[in-house]
Amino acid sequence: MHKIMSDRRTIFFLIAPGMLLFAMMIFIPILVSFYYSLTNWDGVGGYEFIGFGNYKEIFSHDSVFGYSLLNSVLLGLGLVLIQHPFSIIIAMLIQYCGRWEKFLQVCIFIPAIISTFVTTKLWSSIFDTQFGLLNQVLDILRLSDWKQDWLGDSTWAIICIIFVCMWQGFGYAFLLYYAGIKGVPKDLYEAAMLDGASPIQLNTRIVLPLLAPVLRVNIVLAVVAAFKQMETVYLLTSGGPANSTQFLSTYLYSKAFRESVYGYGNAISVLLVVICLIVTVILNRSMRREVGEY
Amino acid sequence: MNTKMAVPMIRKESKRENAVPGMKLSGVVRVIFVVFMLLLVAVELFPLVWLFDFSLLKSGDFFGSDILKWPNPAKWDNYSNAFKNAHIPLLFWNSLFVCTISIVLIVIFSVAMGYALTRMQWKLRKPVLALIMAGMIIPIYSTLLPNFIVFNEIGMLNTYLALILPYVAFQIPISMYIVSGFMETIPKALEEAAIMDGMNVPGLIFRIILPILKPAIATIAVLSFLSCWNEFIMAVTYIDKSSLRTLPFAVVYFMGQYSSNYGAQFAVLAMISIPSILIYLLFTDQINRGITAGAVKG
Repeated sequence: MHKIMSDRRTIFFLIAPGMLLFAMMIFIPILVSFYYSLTNWDGVGGYEFIGFGNYKEIFSHDSVFGYSLLNSVLLGLGLVLIQHPFSIIIAMLIQYCGRWEKFLQVCIFIPAIISTFVTTKLWSSIFDTQFGLLNQVLDILRLSDWKQDWLGDSTWAIICIIFVCMWQGFGYAFLLYYAGIKGVPKDLYEAAMLDGASPIQLNTRIVLPLLAPVLRVNIVLAVVAAFKQMETVYLLTSGGPANSTQFLSTYLYSKAFRESVYGYGNAISVLLVVICLIVTVILNRSMRREVGEY
Repeated sequence: MNTKMAVPMIRKESKRENAVPGMKLSGVVRVIFVVFMLLLVAVELFPLVWLFDFSLLKSGDFFGSDILKWPNPAKWDNYSNAFKNAHIPLLFWNSLFVCTISIVLIVIFSVAMGYALTRMQWKLRKPVLALIMAGMIIPIYSTLLPNFIVFNEIGMLNTYLALILPYVAFQIPISMYIVSGFMETIPKALEEAAIMDGMNVPGLIFRIILPILKPAIATIAVLSFLSCWNEFIMAVTYIDKSSLRTLPFAVVYFMGQYSSNYGAQFAVLAMISIPSILIYLLFTDQINRGITAGAVKG
């Protein structure tokens, strides 16, 4: 038994192809990226090594990099402080929907299943100044003064992007908590009901504490997702107007492919990986302590 | 995500589980509750209803004061025009081809690696697992620039492989996670008995593990389908040959050719989203189980 289950050749054949692909597509590219981040290559001609010049430039002169980080933080806050509490509440409420429960769950999840490409094109039409749904609704509500060029205004554009991200990701967030709530043993409910707990007490005193571990994982996922965000931004505003909606991944993309400072783009790319890893470690550490208090 | 995640249990939902005991609302609370839920559904779904509505309108009908317009007459040519002019059949085929190959590879790799990592005993097990799980945190987009250069050097830009390989690599961590979670629930006694009968590891995988693993495989296949089908940035970056483009490109084509034909653009969007919606409705439980497996048992 033991001999067969620890046969080195078998293990090698099972693991090696996958790991090879993994290394080729993920780990080696990051090393390649680091290599080019130390150069001033424009993507076409020759280049020279400039050490950590790109990084120095990013940290000392590049205000757009700062904006991109700030936007990620804003999106992360939006997800953690608005989307997640809201989806927990909905996941609790949907338990009371009886036979409509399944139907509602499907409706809420559908936007999450459609490609980002479609949803962003859809939302950029909704925000359109001429025939957009949003401005029309404002007209109907007699709030014409509130009409905007939503994606053309630097303050509104970032708000719109955060909203679209929350709209699209809501189904995922909801589903995670919904499954967590479904996992709460039913005898706990029954016991609490017998002791005369109201539905509100039931949800805040019993369900919520039991959701804590789920909450921890999902907050990490949400914050990392905010830092990884690319497609929605790229397709809605490409970082504009005037870089006001730039996120790290759209920024590295436009640096490398639009402005042809490939080395610089790679430096941002490396920083993106580093930031994601650091954020994950910090969140995991800090929240493990919090959960321990329960 | 930490690397020491507990193993997810993939529960079969029983009917009993669905009913929360003693939860009935009455009177005003009930009305407020129903209105609130309807409002939520409206916010999530109305943009899509709007999309399908506009996909049936004449371009001139877009401007006006009504939010939803009864398409009169419904302009189904938007769909047939889009179908022809946006090269939908070709793009559809490309998407389908890339997705199918990717899914097959994802399933093979995640079952093989999942088996070695959960059932077999070896020294480097833990570091390898940690490395794969780190793949969940690393942003896909940080590999865009280096991969572009590397693919360019080895002549892999503008090939199906340039999409398939990264799609597979980035889907492996979550798929392997789901598969190995499911494997943990299979009793070891089954394998012990088979080994007594002289079976080797490939035999164990094919004859014992795979048949039991079918639901988990369905789950990772559906999740992989959705992620590959919807992928856009890599498809834009690594492919610029029109004969290899995938489905999301349909709109780009169309926006170029008919910049003001909104009806047709909406028809293209509708056609792209219909397969995803159908797949979701068909495999709701599979998708739910897959998505919640990783995050709930955290």
